[in-house]
Amino acid sequence: MSPVPYVQGWRFLQIVALIHLWIAGDARPSLFLLILLLLILVCLRWRFPLPPWTAALDIGAAALFMPFTPLAGYALALPIFELALAGRWLLALPLAAGLLLAQGDPAVGLWFFAASLFFGGFARVSLRNERLYQQEVDEQRKARQELERFRTELLAAGRASAHQAELMERYRIARQLHDHLGHDLTGASLALQAYDYVKEPEEAAKLLAEVRRRIERSTDSLRETVHNATPVARIGIERLEQVVQGYGELGLHFVKTGDMQRIQAYQWDLLESCLKEALTNVARHSNATEVRIELQTGEAIVRLLVQDNGTLPDTGQPGTGLKNLQLRARALGGSLSISRGQGVLLVCVIPLEERGEPDEAADRG
Amino acid sequence: MTIFEFALKRSFGNPTNLIFLSLFPLAAIFLPQSELWPALPYGYHYFGILLLFVAIRLTAILIEDRTSGIVKRLAVAPITHFSYLSQNLLAFACILVLQCTVVVAGGVLYGQELGQPLMLLVLYVSFAFTALAMAVAWVALYRSKEIAFLVYMTIIVLLSLLGGMLFPVEMIPEPLSRVIMVLPTYWLTDGMAWVTSGGDLLDFWLANGVLWLYTIIFLTLGSVRKIH
Amino acid sequence: MRVLSTVPWTLRRMSRDYLVLLLLLGVPIVLLSLFSYLMGNAMAESGRLLFHDTAQQMIMSFQLFSGSVVMSYLYYDLFTEKRMRIFTLPFNKSLYAFSIMLCGTVYSLVLGVLLMTYAQLVLGVVWEHWVWMSYNLLLLSVVSSIVSLILMFSVRSFKTAERLTEIYGVGFIVLAGLFFPMPDNAVMNFLGSYGNPLTLSDGAVTAMANGEAGEAWLQANVLAAASLVLFPLMLLLGRRKMR
Repeated sequence: MSPVPYVQGWRFLQIVALIHLWIAGDARPSLFLLILLLLILVCLRWRFPLPPWTAALDIGAAALFMPFTPLAGYALALPIFELALAGRWLLALPLAAGLLLAQGDPAVGLWFFAASLFFGGFARVSLRNERLYQQEVDEQRKARQELERFRTELLAAGRASAHQAELMERYRIARQLHDHLGHDLTGASLALQAYDYVKEPEEAAKLLAEVRRRIERSTDSLRETVHNATPVARIGIERLEQVVQGYGELGLHFVKTGDMQRIQAYQWDLLESCLKEALTNVARHSNATEVRIELQTGEAIVRLLVQDNGTLPDTGQPGTGLKNLQLRARALGGSLSISRGQGVLLVCVIPLEERGEPDEAADRG
Repeated sequence: MTIFEFALKRSFGNPTNLIFLSLFPLAAIFLPQSELWPALPYGYHYFGILLLFVAIRLTAILIEDRTSGIVKRLAVAPITHFSYLSQNLLAFACILVLQCTVVVAGGVLYGQELGQPLMLLVLYVSFAFTALAMAVAWVALYRSKEIAFLVYMTIIVLLSLLGGMLFPVEMIPEPLSRVIMVLPTYWLTDGMAWVTSGGDLLDFWLANGVLWLYTIIFLTLGSVRKIH
Repeated sequence: MRVLSTVPWTLRRMSRDYLVLLLLLGVPIVLLSLFSYLMGNAMAESGRLLFHDTAQQMIMSFQLFSGSVVMSYLYYDLFTEKRMRIFTLPFNKSLYAFSIMLCGTVYSLVLGVLLMTYAQLVLGVVWEHWVWMSYNLLLLSVVSSIVSLILMFSVRSFKTAERLTEIYGVGFIVLAGLFFPMPDNAVMNFLGSYGNPLTLSDGAVTAMANGEAGEAWLQANVLAAASLVLFPLMLLLGRRKMR
């Protein structure tokens, strides 16, 4: 909570104290003017941030009434507080001391002033701390937002580079097919056409040998291209199956439905992380013996369910791993939720890109 | 001065306001004089209460503006909150000052015993401004016109009761009689006592001065811009 | 008797209406305490406490505003916000309106009795006839409710009706001469005595306290007769308006 209401409250409280002193004293009507003048200054300070020199106005008002009443002496508590609040409490000290000596009976007023001085200083410290905290919170918020933005950009960049890689690969295959396979096959086809018109058997046999040689070469080239295009590392559903096999000690049932081709590389990545996290959690924290894993690919979404039959009670907040995954799922427009009924059920839902997206169609030409 | 004009029009547009602004002041002129207390005719003695009521009725326009979102629209319009508030207040003040003048002049013409009518007018004008400032500060606290008005009504009753408008100040026992000096209504009755019985001129100006200082205080408090 | 089942809820609604409680219970308590403090132990000519009369008049005066509660509830339930909901319910609307009126009257009476209790226990006013005073409070509250509803049913805008009930309440207080004496002529004298519900009930209570039972019953009966005369009028206007 902000200390500002307490500072304002203190100012109004001092006015109330002055009114009390005034009523308890002789209650001369003219002295009420002093209280009202000070009240105006307090109200102005409540409305607007006044500079510290305005404490001189309080001092002036009090000095004006000083010859007539001891009340004006007590009124000095207000400028003393303001000076302490502005960090000029050294200025307040001689003021208080001089006037107290002039007043004659310093006992009560002294403590009144001391209280004002201390609370003024305390309020100054709290106000400054509040400002510092606020600055820090602002900076952190800014940093967090920056991070968030950076992550979104990174994800987008990942998606774009996956897309780019796919395009380049497609282009490479196309070029290879065209350069090697295409030439040879075209050559073979032309040779076969020429074969029809050749009369001499010797020439024909030569042509046929040429055709065979070309077709053999293109078969080799095709095998080579396919071999080159096939990745060594496992991807997609195979990768998931490999992960599942890694946890052989648990009783695992893996069911998959739908068209797995529609899941993009970056989405596979998240699904794999989710599966790994869920299985690690089961293995590490749960007493489950059976785990059912389901991967359902629908028209618009892909859904991964991991259900175990553990019976251990909830231990509170999800761990950082799950939280991170939740953030990643959200960044992909999906969600990750964990619910505990009979065992733990983890559900990860990611929206799929629509079939035949315009940009893909454009890439294909 | 568009806001000023509209504030005038709106103030007179409401039928209840019309009664408050025209019928009641006129009725106040013709109320009789008491034998013992108060020293002024009833209509003039209670005129301060009427001013308090009129002020809260007029400033209800400010709450209306807030609830209907006009303040929000003004905030993006090329007009400052200061000029919005000052023009409205100027219109209200004009109405109140006019009312005070009509009442005092009417009393003089009708032949009411008013002591020093000119001084009474000065006092009424001072109090009119205080009442206006108090009402502005009050409506700044509320979102609903009705609730602000109803609760303020009880405040008015307490203010006038303790300020010596329904009850002679002299009858109020000692500790309380000092406390009530912080009420603006006390200074109105104080000034009215001077108008009828005379005395040190400085006392009269003191009463006026206190009322004006109260005006400044309440205006400072009430000038906050609240956007719901 | 489905309407009957709504009564507890109406009462509960009323008891939670803090603004009304503030205005009709909080303010009178403050004012009574203040007047008691200001008047001290001053005696009237009749030998009773001066404050006794003031307290009696004040408690009576606040009954004049009992109609405003009934009015605002009827307005919300039958004419504006809840109109459609209430109209779909399978009960008699007139009876429902009547039940609200009864609840409002009883509520106002309860507030009055609370004020009486406060005045007796805390401020030391000794009421002579609790039952008679309560009966008169009830009569006053019934008349005020009926008058408010007649005003509400006979003018078009609710705001005007509200203003009119305020004028009714404040007007009769002024006419009773509580703020300043009224001019001395036949009309004003009538409105300050037998033509004024406030002075009638006040007079009835005072007369009973002075041992003049006949006069007391006469004044109370005038009030009762007024409510009996006004009730059919209210019914007529109300049925026409609610349709």
